[in-house]
Amino acid sequence: MEKKLLFSAKNITKSFYGTQALKGVDLDIYEGEVVGLIGENGAGKSTLLKIIIGVQPQTSGEMTMHGRPFAPADPMAANKEGIGMVFQEQSLIVNLSVGQNLFFGHEKDFMRMGFVNWKKMYEESKKVLEEVNCGYINPKKKVIDLNFATRQMVEIAKVVNLTKSGHDDQKCLILLDEPTSVLNEEEVQNLFKEVRKLTAKGHAVVFVSHRLDEVLEISDRIYVYKDGENAGNMDIKDATEEKLYAAMVGRETTTEYYHLADQKPAGKEVVLETKDLGLSGVFKHCNIKLHKGEILGICGVVGSGKEEICSVICGDEKPSSGELYVNGKKVDYSSPANALHDGILMIPKERHAEGIVRNLSVADNMALSNATLLSEHGVVSKKKVNDQADEWIERLRIKTSGREAELISLSGGNQQKVVFARALASQADIIILNHPTRGVDVGAKEEIYALTREVVAQGKSVILLGDTLDECIGMSNRVIVMKDGLITGEFQADAGEKPSQVSIVSLMM
Amino acid sequence: MAKENQAALTIQEEFAKKIKAENRREKIIKWAPVLVLLALIVVFTIARGSAFASVSNLVAILNQWAIPLIVALGLTFVIMLGGIDLSIDGTVGMAGSIASVLVMNTLNDNNFGIFGIIIAILCSVVVGFFVGLFHVKLKIPSFMVSFAFMNICTGIAYLSYSGTPATVSDPVLKALPKVSFLGIPFITWVALVMLLLCIYIQEYTPFGRYIYAVGTDETIPRSVGINVDHVKIKVFTLAGFLFGVAGVVGLIRLGQGQAGIGKDLMFPAQAAVVIGGTSLSGGKGGVLNTVVGTLIMTVLINGLTMMGVNPNIKTGIQGIIILVAVILTTKRGATVISK
Amino acid sequence: MEKTNTVSKATSWKKVLLKNYSILVVVVMIVIFTILEPNFLNSMNIVNLLSDSAPLMIMAAGMTPILILGSIDLSLGSMCSVANVMMLAIMLSMKDTAMNPFLIFAIALLATMAAGICSGIVLGLIHVKLKVPSFIASLAFMSVWDSAALMITSSPVKLPKALKMTADWYKIQIGPVGLPLIMSVLVIVVYHFIITRRAFGRSIFAIGGNERAARIAGIKVDLYKVIVFAVNGLCAALGAMFLLVKAKSSAPTVGESFTLMVISAVVAGGTPNTGGSGSLLKTIIGVFIISIIKNGMNMVGVNVYWQKVVYGAIILLAVAITTDRSSRSRVVK
Repeated sequence: MEKKLLFSAKNITKSFYGTQALKGVDLDIYEGEVVGLIGENGAGKSTLLKIIIGVQPQTSGEMTMHGRPFAPADPMAANKEGIGMVFQEQSLIVNLSVGQNLFFGHEKDFMRMGFVNWKKMYEESKKVLEEVNCGYINPKKKVIDLNFATRQMVEIAKVVNLTKSGHDDQKCLILLDEPTSVLNEEEVQNLFKEVRKLTAKGHAVVFVSHRLDEVLEISDRIYVYKDGENAGNMDIKDATEEKLYAAMVGRETTTEYYHLADQKPAGKEVVLETKDLGLSGVFKHCNIKLHKGEILGICGVVGSGKEEICSVICGDEKPSSGELYVNGKKVDYSSPANALHDGILMIPKERHAEGIVRNLSVADNMALSNATLLSEHGVVSKKKVNDQADEWIERLRIKTSGREAELISLSGGNQQKVVFARALASQADIIILNHPTRGVDVGAKEEIYALTREVVAQGKSVILLGDTLDECIGMSNRVIVMKDGLITGEFQADAGEKPSQVSIVSLMM
Repeated sequence: MAKENQAALTIQEEFAKKIKAENRREKIIKWAPVLVLLALIVVFTIARGSAFASVSNLVAILNQWAIPLIVALGLTFVIMLGGIDLSIDGTVGMAGSIASVLVMNTLNDNNFGIFGIIIAILCSVVVGFFVGLFHVKLKIPSFMVSFAFMNICTGIAYLSYSGTPATVSDPVLKALPKVSFLGIPFITWVALVMLLLCIYIQEYTPFGRYIYAVGTDETIPRSVGINVDHVKIKVFTLAGFLFGVAGVVGLIRLGQGQAGIGKDLMFPAQAAVVIGGTSLSGGKGGVLNTVVGTLIMTVLINGLTMMGVNPNIKTGIQGIIILVAVILTTKRGATVISK
Repeated sequence: MEKTNTVSKATSWKKVLLKNYSILVVVVMIVIFTILEPNFLNSMNIVNLLSDSAPLMIMAAGMTPILILGSIDLSLGSMCSVANVMMLAIMLSMKDTAMNPFLIFAIALLATMAAGICSGIVLGLIHVKLKVPSFIASLAFMSVWDSAALMITSSPVKLPKALKMTADWYKIQIGPVGLPLIMSVLVIVVYHFIITRRAFGRSIFAIGGNERAARIAGIKVDLYKVIVFAVNGLCAALGAMFLLVKAKSSAPTVGESFTLMVISAVVAGGTPNTGGSGSLLKTIIGVFIISIIKNGMNMVGVNVYWQKVVYGAIILLAVAITTDRSSRSRVVK
């Protein structure tokens, strides 16, 4: 059967504040097929989806839909052209009924003498639900009373309906971003069944997932992205896990970039140990040992539990099971302040939400964690605060109009350097680096790597959640791999004997 | 590998269990207000017997219920948005006072009749509109804007009769408090009409859906092209309208226009809305919850008065009720920031 | 490069004006009232004005850091009422003992201060630990304290003759300035020093600016917030004491109007309610703005009811000017 091209994107690029998220990717989708989209975190999958659905415009490149040029101004415009997206975070209004959600924003079509004709709306809802083979869902039920799998189907029904508004025979394209992350095995199978029924009608589906086995199971064709570029496009007949892993992982570690010459073997002394640590519903049975002078990398996809382990260790969240030992002493933190007292500090991932205080000066931001250390007789010494700021501005080459500048006036990379300086100045011995190089340009990245090496050489210890897998392997003495809340592997990563990315990725996905 | 899979399942099961427990808690909280109301009725009936459970007291309760209901209805929509309106005491008092000096009264020669009442309500509508406008356009938290307007309106109320409250001498308005139909007092009928209006708005207009959506997550309505700012301003304006109606009803009941008509209305209203199950974080609850909530408050105050409890303690009890209801329904956790 | 310089110059000029607009307001108002009523600037009135502003000043001292945190306390005035009637009630209960009147005064004052601190701590704990927004928690407290004040006494009570001498110090003047005002300003200056120079105080700005960042950076967010609320309770108690001594009587509704005036004063002084910035020294000016308006309107003969309208308008105006709208993603509720 001759396949008809439904959607096509050519050479799409996207840059944010100087960093290039997409460096020219392509995507062709034919009617009636499921296209899998895989890649590491930050490979550009989500960025591309957002461009297709009209949440943000591309920097350059062309898209076509139904053979016509396509440049949606907003999601509604994309819907009109027949493209709909099921977002990772669900977009249903939980206290409204299924039917009301399906036609949310289109109530006016059902108005009769000043009243919304619910009966008619529910009849229409029934039809819409049957269209995606979900006739069993009662449209009068409130969304809050449905389980996640059913909500997902409602979401899909809503998207299918939106994309068809006007012309019933229009073929549409449904984008599914991590649809299985909240579903169990059986629910995933159900979802797949529905997806296949949809494609049987000629619609196309883009399926983004971290779970490689699922992608292999449902897709007809798979695109692999890497660092914002095409890294492969293979038919399902030719795809194997090994091939996909190989395509996903980037260039191998370069020696100078990560200052491998400076990588010293870790000490013997255990500074931090977790025993069977767990957080209900997130991770479990976590046993980690961190040695003095060691960089311990934790790899895993979003949702693997690695972020939460850091939250627990730095005292932000309380574990629901297990024990945490610092310097051989059992500890029970109720806040990061307690953890800092024992010398543990985290550089958070979300810089704006958790890292910086935007309206305070550079100097004050650096002094957040160690104001007491800069005090004389209980009074914070202005001179010490300023000296500290000047010292770090110089050492990290922070571009700022001065130490008194409001932090928000700095660029993202320089803001991150300030947060970094705060952690280094805090005299914490165990520093958790949660994506320390996120949104930082290449030059600054290298400086941060050098600095991290320096810190470790001073006898401090680091837990590193890398922005990329390469970074995590390149910097660490040891790498722990996590998947679905469990530790699935551990690799020694001495300089010169780094584990291959493929071996780690295969345990991550 | 098999063992790991099993463990992975338990993490998912834990997650599912957590969600389930949350849902169960939600369900209990959903029905709690009704149970509280029934419990109160049972307790007071046992304690005071026929004095409480009598037709005359029932009519009294309906009478006392009217104004708190109208006010709380207006507040319900605002709280469903996730906002709050503290202007109640002021706007209600203002509407009542302005109405009193525009209809036939003892203070001046005005006699605009029904138009006076309409003008008074319009004033309140305008205030509601401004609360919404300032809140949305200047990005000032709603509690701050409405707090300022509470005081502005109280001032305007006093100024409208400049010191000496006007007594209504319009024969129709004077007669209305004694009118009753089917045994239900006139002012309760007004409240019931307002209730029907609010049910219509909430359940049978697109606008009602938008209120829920804005309260749940502003990005959802925005993504389908709904003007969120307009929805908010409309809600505050609607609240202003209902506060105005409450002011006029208060005037009819009291027979005299004064800023005091609005005094001490806000707490029972806040308490009623929150205890009825409309969450302060928005997107949840509704008009029917408020009906139960206002009944709880009215029955409680009526019963306590019958038991001879010191009237001064009543506001305090309302405060504690608000606090407990909010505490029971607030989300907690490390990442939750409350200001 | 040049372009950015001119832009920053323009914005910095605007910033300087915004930062210091409150002083401008004071000057403008003095001029206006002097034109309307020449007696406004006579020495008697100045003394009056200054002495009137003492209770407001001390309560505003407690409220300012709360606004810097981004929180609010609507129960301040009601707490003040409770403290006011409570203090006199304690004094009355001891008046027949042989104790020195000043000792009685001191005991009553200490007890009242302790009550204020406790009330602040409880409010702070409910806000911080149970994550109840401060405006709603304090709203509930407001009604509780209103009730409590009325339960202690439902009508004004006079300070008995035997204890009147304990109130005489309120009239002590140093030049045109009364002792109470000096005490209040002293409290503000000391608190200002703590806020700007101690690790604790500096943390308050960080918490107000970004609570999550402050927490992750290892600042004791919960503890500091509770302390700020406790100090606010203490200031309410001190304000109540001033009011008691000034009037030589207590009243269960004496603090009612203060919540509005205090918040007006703090925001008029230039501390925005968005949190993260502000200054206690600015609050001094804010308090004078409110006092001048109150006094000036009385002098000019403006209907007393206009004052509520004016304070409400001041809050709106000041908040509208000082609100930080630079972050577009922030949802305001």
